Parts: sequence; structure tokens; C-alpha cells
Amino acid sequence: MIRLVFINFFRSKSVKIGMIFIVLAGFISLFVGKQFSSKTQKHIAETAHFQKENLLRNAAYFKAEIGYVLYYAKFALVNHAPTISGLAIGQRDVNSSIKSLTIRNLEAQKYDAELNNPYNLLIGNIDFSFVLIYLFPLLIIAFTYNIISEEKESGTWKIVSVQSNNTFYFILQLFAVRLVTILFVLFVLLSFAIPFLKIPLDKSLFLFTSVAIFYILFWFGLCFWIASLHRNSNFNAVISLSLWIALIIILPAAINNYLVNKYPVPEALDTTLKQRKGYHEKWDMDKNITMNAFYAHYPQYKKYTLPQTDFSWQAYYPMQQMGDDASAKQAKELREKLQQREKASKAIAQFIPTLHTQIQLNDIVQTGMANQLRFLDKTSQFHEKLRLYFYPKIFEESPVANEKWENFKIETFTDNTTVSLARLLMPVLFFVLVFMGLGWWNFRRKVY
Amino acid sequence: MLSCFIGLLLVFATYSGYINFKNQNEIRAKYQTEARQDWVNNPDKHPHRMAHYGNFAFRPKSALSVFDFGMESFLGNTIFLEAHVQNTTNFSEAEFSTGLLRFGEISIAMILQVLLPLLIFFLGFGCIATERENGTLKILLSQGLSWRKLILGKSLGITSVVMILYLPVIIITILTWILLQKIKINLDETMRLLLLSVSYFLYLSIFSIIAVVVSAVSKTSKNALTSLIGLWLLFTILLPRASQSLGAYLYEIPSKAKFYAQIEADVIKTGDSHNTNDPHYKALKDSLLAVYKVDSVQQLPFNYSGFQMREGERISASIYNIHLAKLRDIYANQNSFSKIIAFVNPFLAIKNLSMALAETDYASYQDFQDQAEAYRYHISQEMNELQIKYISNKAKNSASKINIIDKKNWEASDDFVYKPSKISLVFANEWLSILSLIAWILLLYFMIIEMSKTLKAI
Repeated sequence: MIRLVFINFFRSKSVKIGMIFIVLAGFISLFVGKQFSSKTQKHIAETAHFQKENLLRNAAYFKAEIGYVLYYAKFALVNHAPTISGLAIGQRDVNSSIKSLTIRNLEAQKYDAELNNPYNLLIGNIDFSFVLIYLFPLLIIAFTYNIISEEKESGTWKIVSVQSNNTFYFILQLFAVRLVTILFVLFVLLSFAIPFLKIPLDKSLFLFTSVAIFYILFWFGLCFWIASLHRNSNFNAVISLSLWIALIIILPAAINNYLVNKYPVPEALDTTLKQRKGYHEKWDMDKNITMNAFYAHYPQYKKYTLPQTDFSWQAYYPMQQMGDDASAKQAKELREKLQQREKASKAIAQFIPTLHTQIQLNDIVQTGMANQLRFLDKTSQFHEKLRLYFYPKIFEESPVANEKWENFKIETFTDNTTVSLARLLMPVLFFVLVFMGLGWWNFRRKVY
Repeated sequence: MLSCFIGLLLVFATYSGYINFKNQNEIRAKYQTEARQDWVNNPDKHPHRMAHYGNFAFRPKSALSVFDFGMESFLGNTIFLEAHVQNTTNFSEAEFSTGLLRFGEISIAMILQVLLPLLIFFLGFGCIATERENGTLKILLSQGLSWRKLILGKSLGITSVVMILYLPVIIITILTWILLQKIKINLDETMRLLLLSVSYFLYLSIFSIIAVVVSAVSKTSKNALTSLIGLWLLFTILLPRASQSLGAYLYEIPSKAKFYAQIEADVIKTGDSHNTNDPHYKALKDSLLAVYKVDSVQQLPFNYSGFQMREGERISASIYNIHLAKLRDIYANQNSFSKIIAFVNPFLAIKNLSMALAETDYASYQDFQDQAEAYRYHISQEMNELQIKYISNKAKNSASKINIIDKKNWEASDDFVYKPSKISLVFANEWLSILSLIAWILLLYFMIIEMSKTLKAI
């Protein structure tokens, strides 16, 4: 019987078209992911190249003053993107994976934007997560919306139900055939992606696949429930598509509008203004005010005294430091606000499988906001490390030639945060069970 | 029921657009004032210190951004403007987003562009196909009704149903807009609004006719429905992403490191003020010494270092602008597919046109960036002029408390005021989109005439 169900399913022209379409879209998405990964790699290589060039040139120019070299010298920190991130580009196209910083005031450079074409960002990528979240459900709907209603409309349903011993079991078989087919497509695409994007067979891949399977199960559950309502094909098509739109377009967008208005980030502008004032006003003040504040922050440098000149790098960098110190409160508030946004959207997303899936996929492959926030924290640490290394050299007026500038390679931040499987899958599993249960209940009452 | 739902959604969209507009503009105006206050409150100091103190340009949201958010969320809103450097425009909403934003936003424009066409398709898929299924189509046609009249009549019927939703939207938009303008209405904005209303009317009519035409050629209403849904998905979801991805795939944006390194290299090539033997500055110095008949720059009657910086600013700004133009060309090339596809996809046509009219598109953003850069250049050079004129030529650096000028100069320099772009910019950039909407209407009209000759009743 199940063999015949399979043959009958694949005879349909629309099934063939649907399969070709999704496989094609899947392959395109993998190419997009591949290109994104190689672009990032290229940008990292270029940053490394120009960093070296820049350091050596400035070291040659300003032989006498290490303070002058460091005014221009840029040091890069890279937010490592695992190869699997090619499957879900997430926020990595908006937020740069590279931060190139001087040891001057951090807050003035921490949020410098990436070169981006906003139209690309607005329209969005065709990455694998798009194919999975947007297109797979459409295929599931197309395969199942008329599963019973069509037979009823053509009058064959009565024959079917008379001939099968257990009609409910038969319905399950119809769904099982489609589920197996869709999962097969998913596995084909993923098994192609593994060698193509060089994805290691690790926990991330396992989590990614599990989330993908549960997402597909969710849509099958939903369609199973719709079929159990025993309405006509047109009604099923309209209601399924409306649910698709509600879950993929309307609800996420409405929640986004809500969050944007609920958590605006004036702290960003506040930080920027405060750091400018905090640094620049020191030019007009007595140097001791700056130095006392600086020594209070870094008591270890108390032993150094300022040269008696109008301008000295020994006084300049503490003034720069004051920009950060003056805006520390605002910067902290900004960070907290972003954490709040992240927390709020994750909490809400639990109730909306599409959102939950997207956010979790981004988290698994480290392209989401959580990763970006950790990268920003790491950026601050990286900057502080550079400062602490160079401050004594500036105070001691250490010779520029003593420094091995070519050894300052770009550094890489690898995010090792792990995600718990239960938190990933529970919210979606809940909906899968609810819809399957409802469908089962309806079919138990009425299969004709 | 669907219409009621869309109606509610429209109310929500208007409300959240309004709140966002109010919040953001209040925030930006507040900090623009604060930034100016900080600038003005500076004590007497060396003008070059002020050139580095710098200014901020905060991009105000346009009144029509309440209607169409466009790419607003992906555009930065803050530029720090200082001497020597062109900083990036920072703090776009997207940079602070959790990824949710990538699903889109609900604005009035989005509802009109995406949801209303689908509503139209849901309303219209059966309008002729059902009559065919029921056999009533034969009766209608046998009574002397022509196909052309039938299709036009049905289209008109659907359009008028949609107008029940659309007209209140336009009225609310106009009222909100008047409210936001504080009743200060100008011609440019009025034309934008008018053009928006007409374009959306055309857009919705196009979809009404498409629904009827597809219904007329389909054997069953189910076929009509699936074809229309397919078309809708193609227009609103697949084609836009595909065309933009293709553009992004073919034209590559340089890395930030490379972009700035190339500018730096070009600046050094043209004239490197740090290098004492640089031929450009050496020639400049020699010619000055010759004209003033002195043998060192310290003897010149004006501040030489200011003079040198003025030259440096001129060189670096013009080189930056050349590179920026190249970068923008890459963006334009990437977007070219979406622009051309707009000709076959009315969704992209209205999307591009609507953003442009609401001043939430990239061209308006570029206009802001250009104005900010022009202002930055102006202030930097103004500070250089002050230095050339008033600072002693003996001054070694800008840190000394002797080489300072009066703080009234800070108040005297202009504040940054963004001037909204003109509607002519929209015509220059989006003529293809306008043409596309008109072409669609004509195409559909001729299609109806042609089809009327061949369509069958069964």
C-alpha cells in the first residue's frame, strides 16, 4: 500500500516541479553561503596585509616618537566565523566580522559601520536558512493542502475509505510519504553542503540539523491539523498561506516594530557625544586634572611623570582615555539595552516557531546578536590589552625600532558559547505536539 | 474578515510608524542640539583643536517615513565630522537588531505592497473561474456581454472593493502627514504625496486586473488560486531576493581595509604632508617662499601649518570623494538588477518608487551624506582659515595656551542643517519604476483586448 502511495505522489507534475524548485533554491543558497564565507576570508586576508603595511610605514615615518606611530597604528580583531555560518548568514552581513582599532579612545571607533549596500541588507540574503524557513513550508503546504480534499472533490475519497481497513492509518501514510520526501531533500542539501562549505561533523551541525527537522515537523503538524478540518481545497490553500504569511511576515515584523519602539537606543548617541566632550575638554584644562584621573584608573602608571612641554604623547593618551572614562556609564547602558533587546526577542520568539528557528540557527552558527555582543565585549578587552601593552612604552618613550611591528598580526576571537538542545527544541516540539494532537483528535472524530 | 484584519494591521502600522518617527526625531534633535551646545561652549582655543572637536550630523527622518520605512532601518543616522577624516555613518537600527528585523517591518507601504495584492488575489481568483465552473459564464456571454466588458467590469469591481481599504489609508496618511508638518505644507511634499497616492492606485489596479485575467484563463477556481498564489510569491518574495542576490554575487564590495588603504595610498602619492621631502609640499613651500621673498616658512606673514593643512584637506577630501563615487557605482551596479526587474515586477517598481518618494531610499541617504561631507569640509577649512589668519607662525602646536583665538568664532560658524532632497531626485532615479507601472497598465489593457477574441466560455 505505502509503495502505491509513493508512486501516486510522485506521478503528480506539481510534485516534480516543487522538488526541482526547492533543490535548485537550496543549491543557490549554498553558493550564496560559500561566496559569503570566501568574501569574509578575503577581507580578513586584506586587513592583515594592510595592517602590516600600515604599521611598517608609520614605524618608518615616525622613528622618534612611538606615540605618533600609535596615533595611526591599527590593530585588527576578527570575529571567527565557523564554516557552517555559510548556512545562516544572520547579522554577519550587517555587522562586520573585523574591528580595526587604534589605541585611542575606544568608544569613538567601536561602532564604526561596515561598508554596506543597504539595498542588499533590506532585501536579504538567499541563504540556506531562508530556503528552510521561507520555502520549505511552502513546499509542505503545496504537497499537503489538498491531500484529502482533492480526493473528496473528485469523488475518490469514498472509494479509498471503503477499501482501506483503517482510514486514519491511511491518512498517516499519506503524510508520512510527504514527510520522508521533504526530509530526504533536506538531507540531500545538507550532505552536499558538508563537503562544499567544508563543514565539520560536529555539535553545531547536529544542532542545526535537529532544529531544521523540528521546524519541518512543525509545518507538517500544522498542515495535518488543517487537513483534519475537512474543508475544501481552496479553503485549505487560503488558510495555509495565510498562516504562512502570519508566521513569516506579519508576526515577526509586528514584533520587530514593537521591540524597536519599546527599546530605542538613544544611549548610542549619548555615548558618542559624551566621549567627544570627555576627551576634547581636557585640552582646555590643567594637565593635572587629566593625569590624576588617569592615575586613579591606572595606579600602576603613577611612577611616570609628565615632561614639561605644551604637548606630549604622555599627556595625549591619558586625555584620549578620558573620553572612554567619561562615557563609561552611557556605554554600559547601551550594552544593557542591547542585552535587553536580545533577551526580549528570544523570549517572544519561543512562541513563534519561525522566529525561534531563525534566531536559534543564527545562534548555533554564531551569526546572531548574542555572538555580536560577545564580540563587542571581546573588542573592548582586546583594546584594553593593547593599551596596557603600549602605555608604559609611551611613558618611557621607548624607541620605535625596539618594537617588532611586523609581529602584530590580526587576532581572532572564537566564540565557544554552547547552546542547550532542550532550549532549542522544546518550544517547537510543543507546537508540533499540539497540532498533531489536534489533528489526531479531529480525525478520530471524523475521517470522511 | 481578512479585510478587517488588514485594517487593524494598518492602524498598528500607522501607530508604530508615528511613534518611531516621533521617538527617533526627538532623540536626534535632542542630540543635535546638545552636540551644537557642546561645540559653542568651547572656551578660547586653537582653531585646529576645534577642527578635531568636530561636529555631528544626525539624519532626521522625513515625515513620509511614517508611511514607508524603506531602508531607513539599514541606514546609519550619525556621522562624526572632523578634520582629515571621513567617518562612517553609524548606528543603524540593523546594527542593534536581533535578526528579527530581517523578516521585515510593518509599515503602511508594506501592507499596501505585499498584503493588499494577496487580498486582491484571494478576492478575485474565482470571479470568472467560478462562473465557468457553475456554468453561469455561458449564460452571461450568451446574453450579449462581451469578454472585454466582463473582464473590465470584474476588475473594476475588485478595485472598488479594495478602495474601501485604500482610501481611508490615504486619508489617514495625509492627516498624519499634515499633523507632522505642523500644517506647514510645501509644494514638494504635496507632490510627493499626490504621486504616492496615484502610484499605489495604479499598483493595486494592476493586481486587480491580473487576478481577473488569470481567473478568466483558468479552467477551475482552484487552478486560478494556485497560479495567483504562485505569482504573488514570485513577485514579492522570490524575484526581489533573486535579483538582488544576483547583483551582490556579480559585483563585489571591497573590504573596508582595502577601501581606506587605497585612499591613503592615493593621498600619499599626491602629497604627503608628513614627509618633509614630499615633492608636492616642497614645491608649494618653495613657491610661497619665492613669492614672499623670505627664506623660511617661519618668516611668512601667515600661519604656514594652517596653509599646509588647508592643502591637505583639499587633497584628501577630493581623493576620498573619487573613491566614494567608485564605491557607490558598485552599489548601483548591484542594484541594477532590481531596477531592471522592476520593469517585469510591479512589486519592485512600487517599492523603489515609494521609498524614493518617502525619502527613505538610498539616494536620499546619499544626499544626506553628501550634505554632511560638504559641511565637514566647510568647517574644517573654516578652522584652517582661522588658523592661517590668526595663529602666530611661531606656534609649534595646538596645545599651547598662548596660541588661541576667541570663542565667539565657534558660535559664528554655521550649524549643520539638513535640507530635504527635491522631488526631481526621485524622477531622475526612479523614472524606470514610474514607466513600469504605466507599461503594466497598458500591457494588461491590450492583453484583455487580445484575449477577448480567443477566450472560451467552457
